[in-house]
Amino acid sequence: MKTEDRENSLNDFIAGARSAIPIFIGYFTTSVAFGILALSSGLTPFEAVLFSMTNLTGAAQFMAINLISSGAVIGEIVVSVFLMNLRYFIMSASLARKLGLKNNIDKAVISFGVTDEVFSVASLKSGAVSDSFMYGLQLTAWAGWAAGTLAGVTMGSFLPRTLQDAMSGALFALFAALLVPEIKKGYRALFLSVSAGVLNTMLYYMWHISAGWSIVISMLAVTAAGAALFRNEESSVEQGVEEAG
Amino acid sequence: MSSALVIILACGAVNYFLRIVPFIFSVGDNIPAYLKRFLDYMPVAALGALILPGIITSFPANPAAGIAGAAAAALTAWIAGGLILPVFASIGTAWIVLQYLSF
Repeated sequence: MKTEDRENSLNDFIAGARSAIPIFIGYFTTSVAFGILALSSGLTPFEAVLFSMTNLTGAAQFMAINLISSGAVIGEIVVSVFLMNLRYFIMSASLARKLGLKNNIDKAVISFGVTDEVFSVASLKSGAVSDSFMYGLQLTAWAGWAAGTLAGVTMGSFLPRTLQDAMSGALFALFAALLVPEIKKGYRALFLSVSAGVLNTMLYYMWHISAGWSIVISMLAVTAAGAALFRNEESSVEQGVEEAG
Repeated sequence: MSSALVIILACGAVNYFLRIVPFIFSVGDNIPAYLKRFLDYMPVAALGALILPGIITSFPANPAAGIAGAAAAALTAWIAGGLILPVFASIGTAWIVLQYLSF
């Protein structure tokens, strides 16, 4: 019985790690760009790697090094990061509900590894998600982010400039590739994601609201409207079967 | 401690705070249907807001690179599925646009 449990845990861990391989690649390439940009913003290689290891956050890290290099004060940077990453609070609330962890150490470790992509993979996975699966998923994702920065600061400026530039879009490719399977499932995902994107673009360009705030407002406004608008389950057959199962 | 180090650790504390609080004070099981839908729709809305206008602002000098890269990723994901191929397709496409097309 005990051996079986341990085997199941190991299998779940491996399954989690395997489903994080695309995240590892996406994080690694983006994080290489972060490492290179962090050096040019005046961070030491140690500081850049420590940043990725302790923060594990994408856009907010890029935003923070921009603010550091432009001489912003600590309060400004911390508040911006807080606002930009308010979504983690909502994602963690959703994940905590789905995972139903009992152990405090599991909670302390797994909550540290909540990111956009980890959240998407875990919350879109059908059925129960075990703590072992989360450990495999998050450790792999974290390793990709940390190793990417390490590679970035090591490589420094050896990469051709145009390839460095091309990599800064890798994060958005990851977001797009995560969204496509949801859109294939039904029209709601398309409606919600396009609405949030359009609203966010308007907030950013027309009202000059900072990137962090506008993402938070767009997410909350569109999700609140969507949850009020779509009262019934999605009518598509595929979705209906999934909900029933 | 350098000021950069203080900023990094303060940001780390903020990020951990946002992530751990909902795990400690769990929302409970019998949440209203509206809130459940709200949490269910969040990832999709988040992805939309993270993509737009991020793909445009990520390449300030040549926004077409970001748009072409994301389009290549979406198309590859639609046809082939997965995440690895779309990411490489996007980097390749963005690189080609940056290399050969300027506006």
